[in-house]
Amino acid sequence: MAYRREGNQEQLLSSIISTVNSHKSPACARQAHRICMVSDFFYPNMGGVESHIYQLSQCLIERGHKVIVVTHAYEDRKGIRYLTNGLKVYYLPLRVMYNQSTATTLFHSLPLLRYIFIRERITIVHAHSSFSSMAHDALFHAKTMQLRTVFTDHSLFGFADVSSVLTNKLLTVTLCDTNHIICVSYTSKENTVLRAALNPEIVSVIPNAVDPTDFTPDASRRDNNTITVVVVSRLVYRKGIDLLSGIIPELCQKYPDLHFLVGGEGPKRIVLEEVRERYQLHERVRLLGALEHQEVRNVLVQGHIFLNTSLTEAFCMAIVEAASCGLQVVSTRVGGIPEVLPDDFIILCEPSVKSLCSGLEKAISQLKSGSLLSPEFMHDKVRTFYTWRNVAKRTEKVYNRVASETVLPMGKRLDRLITHCGPVTGCIFALLAMLSFLFLIFLKWLIPDDLIDTAIDATGLNGAWTRKYLRNKKKKENTTNC
Amino acid sequence: MARNILCVRLEHTTRQRWQKVLYKRQSFPDNYVDQSFLEKLRKNVHARKYQYWAVVFESGVVIQQLCSVCVFVVIWWYMDMGLLAPQWLFGAGLISSLIGYVLFDAIDSGIERNQSGQTRWGDLKNSVVFVAFTYGFSPVLKTLTESISTDTIYAMSALMLLGHLIFYDYGANAAIVSSTLSLNMAIFASVCLASRLPRSLHAFIMVTFAIQIFALWPMLQKKLKAQTPHCYMIITLLFALSALMGLLTISIVGTVLFALLLIAISCLCPYCLIRLQLFKDNIHGPWDEAEIKEDLSKFLM
Repeated sequence: MAYRREGNQEQLLSSIISTVNSHKSPACARQAHRICMVSDFFYPNMGGVESHIYQLSQCLIERGHKVIVVTHAYEDRKGIRYLTNGLKVYYLPLRVMYNQSTATTLFHSLPLLRYIFIRERITIVHAHSSFSSMAHDALFHAKTMQLRTVFTDHSLFGFADVSSVLTNKLLTVTLCDTNHIICVSYTSKENTVLRAALNPEIVSVIPNAVDPTDFTPDASRRDNNTITVVVVSRLVYRKGIDLLSGIIPELCQKYPDLHFLVGGEGPKRIVLEEVRERYQLHERVRLLGALEHQEVRNVLVQGHIFLNTSLTEAFCMAIVEAASCGLQVVSTRVGGIPEVLPDDFIILCEPSVKSLCSGLEKAISQLKSGSLLSPEFMHDKVRTFYTWRNVAKRTEKVYNRVASETVLPMGKRLDRLITHCGPVTGCIFALLAMLSFLFLIFLKWLIPDDLIDTAIDATGLNGAWTRKYLRNKKKKENTTNC
Repeated sequence: MARNILCVRLEHTTRQRWQKVLYKRQSFPDNYVDQSFLEKLRKNVHARKYQYWAVVFESGVVIQQLCSVCVFVVIWWYMDMGLLAPQWLFGAGLISSLIGYVLFDAIDSGIERNQSGQTRWGDLKNSVVFVAFTYGFSPVLKTLTESISTDTIYAMSALMLLGHLIFYDYGANAAIVSSTLSLNMAIFASVCLASRLPRSLHAFIMVTFAIQIFALWPMLQKKLKAQTPHCYMIITLLFALSALMGLLTISIVGTVLFALLLIAISCLCPYCLIRLQLFKDNIHGPWDEAEIKEDLSKFLM
């Protein structure tokens, strides 16, 4: 996952240098932003949101923007850290409440976040994930401080139960005065627009990406005497592991040469173990347990078919990774999955054992007849679909658009809250916004803005890190030229 | 470069249509809103259309249970006041039980009996054992709660009867429903109340009556409702009327209130349900979490 394409990068940097030399720096022509990514979820925690923030930040740095990341402390990882290419990460000492998400009071984090926003001279606050209370907090403070705000929603949410009604209300409050919202798929956009009652014009769809160099096919690792179905997912209910427990016995009885390779860990593992026990499939169903991200590719390339049984999914990186490794994908038709891959790369099924079994059987018969696409061909196609550079380019457009917009002044913001979020919630949050505004004035009196040191930029237009790197490069180039 | 632009233009003109896919680089801005936006939005998929009289009919089961509780309390009151001799109640109970027993088999011409393999000899044995035990233990019941104050007993009975009404299986598929708990609460209430009656014979007959009205009568009701809905309607009406008549001899205010409650439940509540149904606004779409509809437990059997 780590950003480690030295070769590529050198190329890119040299291209930057050449443009600098020709007095037409793309960073100069473009606006350079100072962006603060905020989310509760960041490394060392692993997951889709985490890698999204990291990869996006790296590509934005590459494009000449200053990027910092703010998250909460993970055990002994606290304070400020620098990651690859001078990506500065603040691990704030905030108490974690539930599922790696911090407690929210809408006030306690204001002093710290204000300090960071001023120190780093932030122009755009970009919050990630609706499950992260820190993201909601940061958006709230950023608006109080008259900064521009962007929010990326990574997940789908229902409308039926009490918990989603409450979360959706909170989202309405957070997003009603946010400048721009990014969703990872069209289905996710529809979902977010409905949940937060938004104008769809201010919602952009920018899909996730995968690093194609991490997921290359390797047909030699396959065992061609058998058919191997690979499943890589957390073993939880939402990933449809119960369906998998029905598919395994059904198909193993039908195809004696069928093997299952299951990577991932979770509470539903016991169900798979029971099935394996019950049908005596120890030889043919291997449960690998939790996988490190770099191991995923090595598991994927051992299979012929990738099976995804998710019950809900906003984008589904797993199927892109599998397709990039050249596996035929069989998946449930839920959420944004139908948008992700073209029809000849994926077999879509209804979320039932019967439908998934027939989908798998179709894939098996295609495999046996040799009519499947070759892994190399698939990889070459998929690598053009989703790249982080493209994501960064499109996100940059959002930033440019946001930078030209005005932030709602306090009075209008209160108006918007009251008219947009319903009479009760609107008034409560308008009051809270007012209080946070007064709190900010108090903080400004306590420590005036000009008493806060500005940090030396690591990244960005005149970033110390980028400059140093460039100078070294220049020297090297000069010596080679001589 | 120029050729590229030309290509893009060409593509643009030939394939203007926006597609809901992420893997294609389309010539539309990222915040483009297509006409098909929210096309797959469905509203009130699981909403049911209710017919007023059908709902009124279904509310009969609640009316029946309320009336059962009412009748039970009225009978207890009569016994406590000494207005009703226990022999009479026993006689009436016995006769109605026998009629009910015959009816129970007659309604579906004994199909269920044949299926379950329950013999008449078994029924007789069960009832004899039950009556004998209750009779034997009734002196104990009588003295069991002597040390507890009468107010506590009344409060406890009221609570238990309320609990019986709450947890009773009215046919809804909800987590709160538990017919065992409901029956136990009713029997507990009857034991409490019976212990305040003058003699142990009273207590015995009171508990037997409670079994009849809370355990046996609902079974017959269910069958009646399934097989002969018209009969069930009439019986519900008669039962409600008799409960009201019984209550009338004790308290006029109570009768009026109880009658209002019954009318509210059987007429007003269905009306409200149907009116409020119009305001239902459930949103469904492709973002909903899929439900697993199959029974997957068979794979683990």
